[in-house]
Amino acid sequence: MLARVANNLFWMGRYIERAEHLARYLNVNYFSSLDAPNEKSQSRELVLHSLLFMANGPVPKDYELTEQNVFFDIGLNKDVPYSIINCVKYARENANGARDLISTELYESLNKFYHFVLNYDADFFVKKGLYDFSTQVAESTAVLRGKIRGTLLHDEVYAIIMLGVNIERATQVVRIIQSKYYDALKSQGSYGDKFSKSYEWVTLLKCIESYDMMRRYYKKTPTSISTLEFLILNRDCPRSVMNSLVQVNNHINLISRDKHPEHNSAAFLIGKTHAEYCYKTVDKIEEDVELFIEEIQDTLIEIAKKIENEYFKY
Amino acid sequence: MDYIIKYRAENKYEAQVNEALWQFLIKPEESADQTIRASEFTNSLGAAVEESTNTYGFEIVRIHPKKPFTEILFEANYLVRKDQTNPFSALDNVVNTEHYAAVESLDFKIRYERFLGSTELTILPSGKIPFIFDKQRSIFDNLQGLNTYIFKNFQFKQQVTTVTTTLEEFINQGQGVCQDFTHLFVAIARANNIPARYTSGYLHQGNGYFEESQMHAWAECYIPEKGWLGFDPANDLIALQNHIKVAHGKDYNDCAPIKGVIFSNSAKNDTNYTVEVIARKESEPDVFHPLQEFEPLPFKQQLDMQLQWQQQQQQQQEQQKQQQTYTPS
Amino acid sequence: MSETQNSIFASYEKDSKFYDEIFDEKGNVKKVYQTLFDLYSGHSSQDFAKLNEKAKASFFNQGITFQVYNDKEAKEKIFPFDLFPRIIGQKEWDVIERGVLQRSKALNHFIWDIYHDKKIIKQGIVPLDLISSSENYLHQMIGIDPPGGIYNHVSGTDLIKHSDGKYYVLEDNIRCPSGVSYVVCNRTALKRALFGVFNHYNAHSVTDYAQNLLEMMESVKPRGVDEPNCVVITPGVYNSAYYEHSYLAKAMGVELVEGRDLFVENDFVYMQTIRGPQRVDVIYRRVDDQFLDPLEFKPESMLGVPGLFSAYKNGNVCLVNAPGTGVADDKAVYTYMPQIIKYYLGEEPILNNVQTYHCSRPDDMKFVLENIDKLVIKPVDEAGGYGISIGNTLTKDEIQKVKKTIMASPRKYIAQPIMSLSVHATYIEESESFESRHVDLRTYCLLGANKDFVLKGGLTRVALKKGNLIVNSSQGGGSKDTWVLKS
Repeated sequence: MLARVANNLFWMGRYIERAEHLARYLNVNYFSSLDAPNEKSQSRELVLHSLLFMANGPVPKDYELTEQNVFFDIGLNKDVPYSIINCVKYARENANGARDLISTELYESLNKFYHFVLNYDADFFVKKGLYDFSTQVAESTAVLRGKIRGTLLHDEVYAIIMLGVNIERATQVVRIIQSKYYDALKSQGSYGDKFSKSYEWVTLLKCIESYDMMRRYYKKTPTSISTLEFLILNRDCPRSVMNSLVQVNNHINLISRDKHPEHNSAAFLIGKTHAEYCYKTVDKIEEDVELFIEEIQDTLIEIAKKIENEYFKY
Repeated sequence: MDYIIKYRAENKYEAQVNEALWQFLIKPEESADQTIRASEFTNSLGAAVEESTNTYGFEIVRIHPKKPFTEILFEANYLVRKDQTNPFSALDNVVNTEHYAAVESLDFKIRYERFLGSTELTILPSGKIPFIFDKQRSIFDNLQGLNTYIFKNFQFKQQVTTVTTTLEEFINQGQGVCQDFTHLFVAIARANNIPARYTSGYLHQGNGYFEESQMHAWAECYIPEKGWLGFDPANDLIALQNHIKVAHGKDYNDCAPIKGVIFSNSAKNDTNYTVEVIARKESEPDVFHPLQEFEPLPFKQQLDMQLQWQQQQQQQQEQQKQQQTYTPS
Repeated sequence: MSETQNSIFASYEKDSKFYDEIFDEKGNVKKVYQTLFDLYSGHSSQDFAKLNEKAKASFFNQGITFQVYNDKEAKEKIFPFDLFPRIIGQKEWDVIERGVLQRSKALNHFIWDIYHDKKIIKQGIVPLDLISSSENYLHQMIGIDPPGGIYNHVSGTDLIKHSDGKYYVLEDNIRCPSGVSYVVCNRTALKRALFGVFNHYNAHSVTDYAQNLLEMMESVKPRGVDEPNCVVITPGVYNSAYYEHSYLAKAMGVELVEGRDLFVENDFVYMQTIRGPQRVDVIYRRVDDQFLDPLEFKPESMLGVPGLFSAYKNGNVCLVNAPGTGVADDKAVYTYMPQIIKYYLGEEPILNNVQTYHCSRPDDMKFVLENIDKLVIKPVDEAGGYGISIGNTLTKDEIQKVKKTIMASPRKYIAQPIMSLSVHATYIEESESFESRHVDLRTYCLLGANKDFVLKGGLTRVALKKGNLIVNSSQGGGSKDTWVLKS
């Protein structure tokens, strides 16, 4: 496979995945805040800030935090790089560059998705269409996931896309954990709603579509510790960091075919990170959540960089 | 006569260059009166030197460094032996009407089609031919006349033209360098049905003549029964022993000594080319640098070498003394 | 037509000036179209409106589109597809196929000759001027022997049917003829929309084109290569024909590369893969000559590969089509086609040439200037229908203007009688019915080493504007599925 095309496939996967997390976070976080049990969690400013933080990191001081501004920027603003519309546009541009390698079905779905987002009425979206738009985006990405799985040969092409998807998934899940962690810190205090039992953990799980899975697994109300354990370390939860690492590890092995990868290679770092997570415990993570977030973010960036250097150079 | 030709190109870039490719067309050709006794081509990055030939069969080298860099130095050295020839012996100043008939024939036009048509750099403005051949005189006479005509009517001046200057611009400003003189010569010769080609090479202008200089250009024309003969309109000379030919083509673009493709975020760069041509006696040893290092040799051989070097040093000194006796052309 | 006064054909106008592909002189439906006609008459105009919308949406969703740039942003458009197929009977096709192949082969001989001995010029059959004044004659190609001796591996010959009912060749496209992906897409779309109609006919498949293209490419592999690595090179995703490039690569199962994916080392071509460099042997290039190699052609080209031409010259890679074929699809060469065919093949041309006047010849020029209103004036080296003037549509002022342009550069123009392109039933959205529109036919021919192939089908292009004779997509043309019958 051409190095340039591999790069396209990798980023197509990443952008599709990113669009999904953005849309779901926008949807779930916003709507669950409306009737949150405590006042702070209901605060418009808190939730808008949280949305923007998840999409684009620290919020500039002079940003006018209105619903319409935030929705538009995250959803349909073509002039900000983090918007959903741009994610979908980039996903399609990357798909164009690899068009001969992906299935007609996958391309057609992505193309339809692109035109749906492109033609969505921005005015309607910021006033009435938030739920409709974000739900449809999430659904379209689910269709794309299905097409990636079901209409492509599970060879290198598939492995590269899945590398992108899973690295992005881990990145976004960590980003969402980070946002909700700050929300939980900010909203504690009222009604004895302690940090560890914050309502924000429920929202966090829902933002990652993992609330039902988590309830089934622990059969208890989520706490900070059980939520983090589930989302970071549970191997069977398809949205956990651990699960993403397992998949990244499998896919890099298919591509690298190297049983004894060199110490500075992507395959080595992925294998090493995967092994570390196999023996991580949640109490260690909880000791310093911020440090954990920083470390895993750095590692994911490092992994992506190494993959790029080793496979995508042209 | 032997010549040592030293070609140096130094490129410095403001931003890191991620990928680059250069193609050099600077090696003197091998021909009946010109042989290469030694040649070397090096670059400061130690990148592989790829050898190939261009469309006309002239030798080129390509350098394609694999690692990023900000500066690179190319150095080439050639030792060339030129045999003395006298083209005048074969030429007649008497008119030969058959020659004019020959250049008008279809077969001739087909055979030399490549060097009869115009290119972007050799289009005469508004199709006017400023110098029309006098058919009462021989083709050679006419070409010599053309050589003198261009030499007299245009002024040699650097930095007023570039490698993309058209004849229209050159004619309007009346100044330029050897490329422009040659393009005009070639264009007029072709307009008079004489096949003409742009020729690049080195000009020996006398030892010690060393400054920022580049390669030289002149024209070659085909005279029926006689063959190709070089005319240097920038100096009003027939190209003989002091003209060391590298390549020919339709115009400068076919003979550009260096072509490059650079992938970088900034195109800003500082380039510095120098060309040095040193004449010396044929009896001197075939080495470029008297002080160049050799592999350790057995003692006896080392002694011989030393002896050679000493002789060489002496000869060089002598040569420097003789310098005045060379007539700069 | 009396008994089939169905509403969907109600606004079909008949004009005896043109050859009608559907109806004979008496107004009866021709035999090959009868079944189709009967089946179509069973549909209501609403049915067709719906099918038409569906077909359009299908092209759009599949991204079979081209970009149209206006001042604000790029807009995606589909190449309009028509619901009424063109049908060509076996006997009629047989002539086309032989004729197209004959031209292709003759052109290949011609190109070989003009880059070698130039015998045809020496013998005075075509003038030297034909190459010496052509911008597309590449001196770099002189003396090069391409693998298999093939230059125009892929040719697209455009045919029309004149009012005399005979096929005439309009031009031979032998640089990078495009449109073949539409032949396949049109077939797919038509089968989907009107499967109940298609299965009444026994038409040749068109999907074997890619397989034949690959076999052809493999047949012209460089010497010393067992299993050649073939690729398609595209200028990139923003090129208007990018869909076609990706389709062809995909259908052949080969890589679609851009210039930046390739590099040349020691005169061999390699592509950068995720596992390092891999040698490339045969390149179907959809990049123009001048952009192929910045070291040899346009130095500012970012689309090409530095050193590619040198690799080609040394026989280490095959370019499909060869550089420098453009010299022979010059419209001035077209006029010599009958002589060229005779000279190299010793055969009479199977397909007719349109009478052509060279403005560079004084006699022709005189005739052209006196008869502009009856002629079509074409620039010799433009493609895509640009720069064409049709005499009978010009005002007096416009005629004067055209005269001036011709006189300024006679070599650049030819003139031909206004050919009446045949008409064909075509679905028109505005009237929701079938009307008559002018059509032509682009054929696709492959030449390899001991391998030739003519696609049994083609791209029937249709001018959607009423009365318009220019069918190019850039001029508002659409296309039809084209059925070549097996018997």
